[in-house]
Amino acid sequence: MDQLEHLEGDLRFVRGALDTSTRGASPSMLYFLWAAIILIGFALVDFQSDWVPRYWTVAGPTGFFASAYIGWRHARRLGQASASDGRRHVLHWGAVLSAVALAVLLRGVPSEQLHAVILLVLALGYVTAGLHLDRPLLWVGLLMGAGFVLVTLVSSYAWTAVGIALAVGLTVAGIREGRPREATT
Amino acid sequence: MKRRLEATSAQLPFGELDDLLQHRARLGAAVLLARHQQLSFSRLKALLDETDGNLGAQMRKLEDAGYVVARKEFQDRRPVTWYALTAKGTRALSQHLAHLERLIQHARRARG
Repeated sequence: MDQLEHLEGDLRFVRGALDTSTRGASPSMLYFLWAAIILIGFALVDFQSDWVPRYWTVAGPTGFFASAYIGWRHARRLGQASASDGRRHVLHWGAVLSAVALAVLLRGVPSEQLHAVILLVLALGYVTAGLHLDRPLLWVGLLMGAGFVLVTLVSSYAWTAVGIALAVGLTVAGIREGRPREATT
Repeated sequence: MKRRLEATSAQLPFGELDDLLQHRARLGAAVLLARHQQLSFSRLKALLDETDGNLGAQMRKLEDAGYVVARKEFQDRRPVTWYALTAKGTRALSQHLAHLERLIQHARRARG
């Protein structure tokens, strides 16, 4: 075979391996965890609104650290420990969590509007995560954006409906992410 | 067309390429390690679609040249070998890729 053609074949092969290595690298468990956290947290707005701040104060940071641990453990089991990827995920979600925490500090904003603002911040966080980190999160982020419109227009059980839609979206994304080979060490 | 490609190939500076990284599996392993920092033997085997024996031999060549380092550990009571690219390996890979880029540019110019 011609040397140049051989080289082109090698480069195609390497690119294919690289693409495979970056596809489906997130653990399904992360999607399921956040589906549960979001479903409970959003339903509370409709059913027990005075619990909402306490719930998110605990669930937000706990979910963040649990996610970091699940991601680290998954990387070890997969046999692909990318420090730069881990750092990017932690910085991204840390920034989103900080933005939400800062939004809570807004004074004089009625709780309904504050919840909507937080949903918008989360939607932006998920869309950017979908664009730069894990593609399935893009659709979840867009669903959150649609949820923002719904909660500003509809007053009864809108948060529960959005929570259910997001939980289903995240669960489906998690199942799809888990489908590709999860080669263990 | 084929004759034209062969003529193009003969004029290209293939000699500048790193001999070690001209092998598909070794180049693939080096590129994957540059992207992900640390990969286990099993993950490399799956991504490069190699057999245990062949990948083991190729990785040993990279190790002997000082391009990668191997670290063994136990995970769930099973031995796992992790590989990482060394500074020397990173330099060699980036030079090899730069040469490849030049080769491709040469080839494009020669093909018109």
